[in-house]
Amino acid sequence: MVFREIMRNRVLYSLAVPGLLVLIIFFYLPMFGHVIAFKNYNYFDGIWGSPWTGLDNFKFFFGGSDWLRVTFNTLFLNALFIAFGLVISVILAIFLNEIRQAVFKRVAQSMAFLPFFVSWMVVSMMLFSLLNTSDGLINRSLKELGLDAVSWYSMPHYWPAILTIISVWKTAGYQAVIYLAAITSISPEYYESAQIDGATRLQRIRHITMPLLRPTIIVLTLLAIGRIFYGDFGMIFGLVGDNGVLYETTDVIDTYAYRALRQLGNFGMSSSIGLYQSVLGLVTICVFNLIVRKIDKESSIF
Amino acid sequence: MLNAIKQIGASDKLVITTVYVIVTSFALFSFIPFWLVIVNSFASESELGLHGFSLLPSKWSLDAYRYLLTGNQIYYSYGVTLFVTIVGTVLAVLITAMFAYVLAHPKIRYKNQLAFFTYFTILFGTGLVGFYIVISMWLGLKDSIWSMILPSLINPFYTFILVSFFRTLPFEIYESAVMDGAGDYRIFFRIMWPISVPAIATISLFYAIFYWNDWWLALLFVDNYKLQPLQLMIRQLISNLNILSYIQGSPGSYGGGLPNQGVRLATVCLTIGPIVFLYPYIQRYFVKGLTIGSVKG
Repeated sequence: MVFREIMRNRVLYSLAVPGLLVLIIFFYLPMFGHVIAFKNYNYFDGIWGSPWTGLDNFKFFFGGSDWLRVTFNTLFLNALFIAFGLVISVILAIFLNEIRQAVFKRVAQSMAFLPFFVSWMVVSMMLFSLLNTSDGLINRSLKELGLDAVSWYSMPHYWPAILTIISVWKTAGYQAVIYLAAITSISPEYYESAQIDGATRLQRIRHITMPLLRPTIIVLTLLAIGRIFYGDFGMIFGLVGDNGVLYETTDVIDTYAYRALRQLGNFGMSSSIGLYQSVLGLVTICVFNLIVRKIDKESSIF
Repeated sequence: MLNAIKQIGASDKLVITTVYVIVTSFALFSFIPFWLVIVNSFASESELGLHGFSLLPSKWSLDAYRYLLTGNQIYYSYGVTLFVTIVGTVLAVLITAMFAYVLAHPKIRYKNQLAFFTYFTILFGTGLVGFYIVISMWLGLKDSIWSMILPSLINPFYTFILVSFFRTLPFEIYESAVMDGAGDYRIFFRIMWPISVPAIATISLFYAIFYWNDWWLALLFVDNYKLQPLQLMIRQLISNLNILSYIQGSPGSYGGGLPNQGVRLATVCLTIGPIVFLYPYIQRYFVKGLTIGSVKG
């Protein structure tokens, strides 16, 4: 029956073949790599030929304290990014919506949206020109105020805050644009009748904009929480790179797995970390997606 | 009554002032790093050495750009990034559009299965090790320009933006076109594609920006400096101590007292140049794309 359906529409199905091949080769085939988590991988025997080792790789990974640290950092940093990103982007969207001067609004929105379009490598250079100990703008200013320069790149305890500020800098403008689109779809009649009844701007924001924006906020936040086990590799690796001093507070599961693979060449351990993350990731995404489905079926991803 | 109106006026004034102050501050906060990098790339190296990065340098010079442009590396990297962006975007848009069209077509009975097959890649992490082994060993793409193009030809999120757009296509045309003897390819490329140009343009822009900014694939698979894209060149300039010979594009040659700091900034400026330059256009399409994406059905 499957065969008949495909044969009947074979030309149509053939349009999907290149896409299917890409998905199979670059997404599904690599999933077999998870097998390596249970093997003592060596280059010559390959994925299938290398000997099985049971749970040794997992014992190695969970035996140390690293797994707790990287898991904590991943969850903690993502929680900070989600919370601060949410509050600031919603405020920004509501405020942008209150602005009646079209040119000012357009320029401000463009400036806030701009960081979204540059890579983490570019951001890393920008950060360097701000935080660099000897001649970064911030330390220069501190010195001019008569204060001591801070060597930011060797002080791990500052970094959750630094990374949160950068995350807000990079994504809040973009998120605000999404929320702004939701706000502009609110019927202007609500605002007009509220105005006739003598509502102030603040009251209009509190009693019209906020409640009507809530479903969008909830859905987007839940979807973000669903991905909380996936650290932003590009961000962390781009900004922190190989600076081991900062690992204590910045190392996430993704950067740890990367180093295990590329610097230690430990395929087995890197793979067990990957599997650990994929399973936790799958569970959280499914749970949060089910919640989203309950709230708003249209917005759930499956 | 008059008093009440006055009170509303005062409260509104306070709100609107706060709004302008906060929005202006955020806009400046967003823009200052760009300003810092752009302005200081034109500062003279002695200025940078003496006063560090400043909001308005007092001595200007084009030395950094002059030096950068006499080396070979910037041309290698620009060439690689341009090639990857252009070829990658064209292929990705073609493949994604064809795939999304099938997923949206009413005649396809296995739409949901195909959609799940695509969703699942978002749900379950591929795993770095398998990905690395497949591309570098099985496909032998290590140090190949294709390693930066092929793995990103389908982005599930962009695919679903297109699927939701394609669902709104007038498929009644399809039946009559079939009656007139047109094949599926003809119908797709001659009829459906032209009416989908706005959505396809949006997706093209998404892919183009993705390819332009990507360095993750290059980091994993490209060691040959002649194949390093611009983004990776920036990384080399930050982490590499011997940046002068790197810029020349031939290990070994060495010069002293050259614009070290400035060269990094100039490279960043040349990298973000096209994005800043095309920004008004990019922004308009992006907002449009986000709106298409948010009315996903």
